[in-house]
Amino acid sequence: MAKVEEYDMPDELYYHKEFMWVRVEGEEAVVGLNDFSQKLAGEISYIEMPEEGDEVKQDEAIGSYETGKWLGKLYAPVSGEVTAMNEEVEDEPTLVNKDPYGEGWLFKIKMGDPAQLDNLMKGEEAIEWLKGEIAKHAKEKK
Amino acid sequence: MYVFNLDKLSRQQSMLIFHLLARMGVEALVLVSPKIPLASIGYFQNAEEEMDLRFCKKTNIPVMRREVGGGATYLDENQIFHQVIIRKDNPIFSRNISENYERFSLPVIETYREFGIETGFHPVNDILTKEGRKIDGEGSGDIGDCFVWVGGILLDFDYQVMSRVLKVPEEKFRDKIYKSMKENLTTMKKELGQIPPREEIKSVLIEKFEKIFGKLEPANLTSTMIREMEKLEKEFTSPAFLFKKTPRISKGVKIREGVEVIYGIHKAKGGLIRAAQEVEKEIINEISLSGDFTFYPKDYLEGLEGKLKGNVREKSLLNSKIEEFYDKEKVQSPGVESEDFLKAMKVEE
Repeated sequence: MAKVEEYDMPDELYYHKEFMWVRVEGEEAVVGLNDFSQKLAGEISYIEMPEEGDEVKQDEAIGSYETGKWLGKLYAPVSGEVTAMNEEVEDEPTLVNKDPYGEGWLFKIKMGDPAQLDNLMKGEEAIEWLKGEIAKHAKEKK
Repeated sequence: MYVFNLDKLSRQQSMLIFHLLARMGVEALVLVSPKIPLASIGYFQNAEEEMDLRFCKKTNIPVMRREVGGGATYLDENQIFHQVIIRKDNPIFSRNISENYERFSLPVIETYREFGIETGFHPVNDILTKEGRKIDGEGSGDIGDCFVWVGGILLDFDYQVMSRVLKVPEEKFRDKIYKSMKENLTTMKKELGQIPPREEIKSVLIEKFEKIFGKLEPANLTSTMIREMEKLEKEFTSPAFLFKKTPRISKGVKIREGVEVIYGIHKAKGGLIRAAQEVEKEIINEISLSGDFTFYPKDYLEGLEGKLKGNVREKSLLNSKIEEFYDKEKVQSPGVESEDFLKAMKVEE
């Protein structure tokens, strides 16, 4: 797994500019919030996700979460139909903080157009992007 | 970046304005007060659980859900809201949310100082006086392509009405909330004995915020903005949005960072137990227990309260304190065990 400074970034995943990750499983995209975003946002108290059956569009805000009085948004990294959501995360949102790429996954989307994955970042491109985000947003932390 | 130095706005517009500007992608500092009192709940709160909606309706206090986190607030003309709306691609914005709070609180702290009140930023989101009393509470959220950070200068505060708009399981709990707020929440009037002129405060706020944002360009509401706010108001007050179910379960009221009033009712075999506590950094400052259960001798219930006061809300510790008390005082409470008190007190594992 790639690590950019203190932030995990698994190589096999696709990344969306709004800090979501995607793991492709057949026709489905498993979606979560990336490590960088959850670390900077802090402990998640509440989360609201799309429901099964919802049709979502790439780049659209489709959910919300609250950390330390900040209300953040969850985005659809690809278009399609929501086929599942992680009920355990709904009950215990800190799973996203504890294990953002594992137990903290958020929802699954049956992709309408898998070619949209080309709009996401992967590998070196994603690493370079994250380095830029760290420079912009986490500079005071270092 | 613009500054909307506004007067008092009608209905919910003093809150809707930042939602609108953020949706429009307009970067601005907004200074505004509401013309009429209103109540606002955090995005994840349940209106029916948190607010005394019957009282609000009777007294014409509109309730709205905001797209910002945090808890229920009562807002009136004695508050000057400071609302910052910046695009998320603005280099001033940080995804390290606590940095935004600290940075944007500074002009507010400097403004209070200018009027003779020493305050400081207290994470996560409060500005406290030297004595530790809250004088400005803040919240934030992402709306559209913008980040919004909002708070309010407290000129004066109606503690009575604030404690009244909240829904509590028992009326007597209101008194706890009222007293705790009186103790922990202060205002310019309380600190200075008078309220400085509103326009002076606003002009100092603008001057201090300009240190961060540079010269701000004065702007005014346009008729299009007013029309758009009217549309937003319909959306924000629609039953579907206002009464939507959220995962947040109410257990009390946060007074300021680190201080909350927690109340609970538990039905034990021996009867109903009510518990109201003021908790500071997980330590029980105050507690009152009541109910319709048998506790003999009855006067000794105060002794049990005394035994629990000053302790950390930790299950095994409180359990041993209750059992020590029962052993020493030989009290009897058929059908009520220490576990039942802990449930009423909402003490978890």
